[in-house]
Amino acid sequence: MNSGYRVILWPDDRLPRHDRETPVVTTTYSARQDSAAPVAAIRVSNRWTAHALTFLMVFGPGLIVMEADNDAGAVSTYVQAGAQYGTHLLWLLLLLLPISYFVQEMVVRLGIATGQGHAAMIYRRFGKWWGRFSLADLLLLNFLTLVTEFAAIALALDKMGVNPLFGVPAAAIALTALVLTGSYRRWERIVVFLCLLDLVWFAIAFRVHPAASDVLRHSLMPSLPLGGLNASWLFLVIATVGTTIAPWQLFFQQSCVADKRLRFSDLRWARLDTLIGAVFTILVAGCMMLAGNAAFLRHWNFTDPAQMAVQLGAVSGPFLKNAILLLMINAAVLGTTTISLSSAWAYGEVRGWPHSLQKPVREAPAFYAVYGLCVVAAAGLVLIPRAPLQLIILSVQVLAGLMLPSAIVFLQLLLNDKEVLGNRFANRPWNNIVNWTIVILLFVLSLLLAAQVAVPRLFPNA
Amino acid sequence: MTTMMTELDEFVVVHPLDDVAEEKVATEHLGPMPMTRTVKVCLFALRGYLLLMVGLLGFRVLQLW
Repeated sequence: MNSGYRVILWPDDRLPRHDRETPVVTTTYSARQDSAAPVAAIRVSNRWTAHALTFLMVFGPGLIVMEADNDAGAVSTYVQAGAQYGTHLLWLLLLLLPISYFVQEMVVRLGIATGQGHAAMIYRRFGKWWGRFSLADLLLLNFLTLVTEFAAIALALDKMGVNPLFGVPAAAIALTALVLTGSYRRWERIVVFLCLLDLVWFAIAFRVHPAASDVLRHSLMPSLPLGGLNASWLFLVIATVGTTIAPWQLFFQQSCVADKRLRFSDLRWARLDTLIGAVFTILVAGCMMLAGNAAFLRHWNFTDPAQMAVQLGAVSGPFLKNAILLLMINAAVLGTTTISLSSAWAYGEVRGWPHSLQKPVREAPAFYAVYGLCVVAAAGLVLIPRAPLQLIILSVQVLAGLMLPSAIVFLQLLLNDKEVLGNRFANRPWNNIVNWTIVILLFVLSLLLAAQVAVPRLFPNA
Repeated sequence: MTTMMTELDEFVVVHPLDDVAEEKVATEHLGPMPMTRTVKVCLFALRGYLLLMVGLLGFRVLQLW
């Protein structure tokens, strides 16, 4: 009689023998003594219940990485896109849905296969020069982005009548406390809850009454602006792409998958998590554009979403104003915790320090110090009177343009590294066709942005 | 190990953080990636791209000076 549990390695069991190169777990737990079986195991009698529970346990990193990308900068970009072009750029979001999924899916595979972060893999496989370049670029870009997150928090608090001198430090303390519990699960549950708060964007989009026919038509049919291609349209298109696919996401999700210790057999659930995250994020981004569309229809001019929220609140009631301002803060909070973590994980991996949210502060002091330093320094910079915030925002765009294509090239090369990944996790030919197309597209957009910056009159103004 | 099954058709589900640590692909013994033609071309293109971007940035800064 078989007295043990046999681990089901569903994907590998179905693979041909030559594909079983990578090591797999073959642990068998004793049913009599249960000494090796995990204590917190849940026993169910239905296969589908088991699948659903497994998915819920794996769920998190995909949703978080995608939704946190709808950070303060993204709210600003999407609302601005809606305010300038109404619903005419919705097709772009739909196009970005598969692109963001395919890019992040590669990161999931790499993280599950190696159990290591992206920065560590770049160091190991491309040497110190590229490793240092990637890390320095990531840390600098992340820090500057954090400054923009806190600037958005200060802006929204100010419009709500809260003094940023109190509100920003309070936010920084809360964001630091969020990771200090020594429990990955606790952090993940709180952040997933914050992600789900973005469902309120659907209510906002419903309240501003967009024309359903316009939404449908412009989502499915790409169109150029009236009067043809112009510099402002091109800039918004590039900004939208750059906002939807950000370098920190690659580093964050791989480290997050490694920290959560996702297993080979979790791959399909992690992919589903990432797909759900991508769909949710794009829908929320679409709702932000629809909120901006309300300003487009009324011919309002504004410099930031907080100003638009105040204008919208004056004609549509306080719900819209308060909801948009609170969601701006929520977006910035989500962006701050994930971006800071991507920096702390990456730096910890490269330095060989303990770097896990599962560890208490005394066991990983340097990891938490990097996180805290990022948060506190960015919050402090925002509170300095006359800080050069416009220069910082411009620097973020320039550095992101430098960083994203190079990070994706490394990712693509790593996913073709059969010495590491074997046939099981490496890219298939169709993966390569899709992903190289994405890489080329991103390079072209970055070069167009660079050309526009260098030669401002290259494209006609609107 | 995500889902385990006994002979009694009982499924055991374990959170990844509660599970036995899985043996991952070993990368410690690996050095730098072999410089195949694809890798060389990619890194060469990347260097060119970075130089071009830095050059354009420098040009723009000089214009604004």
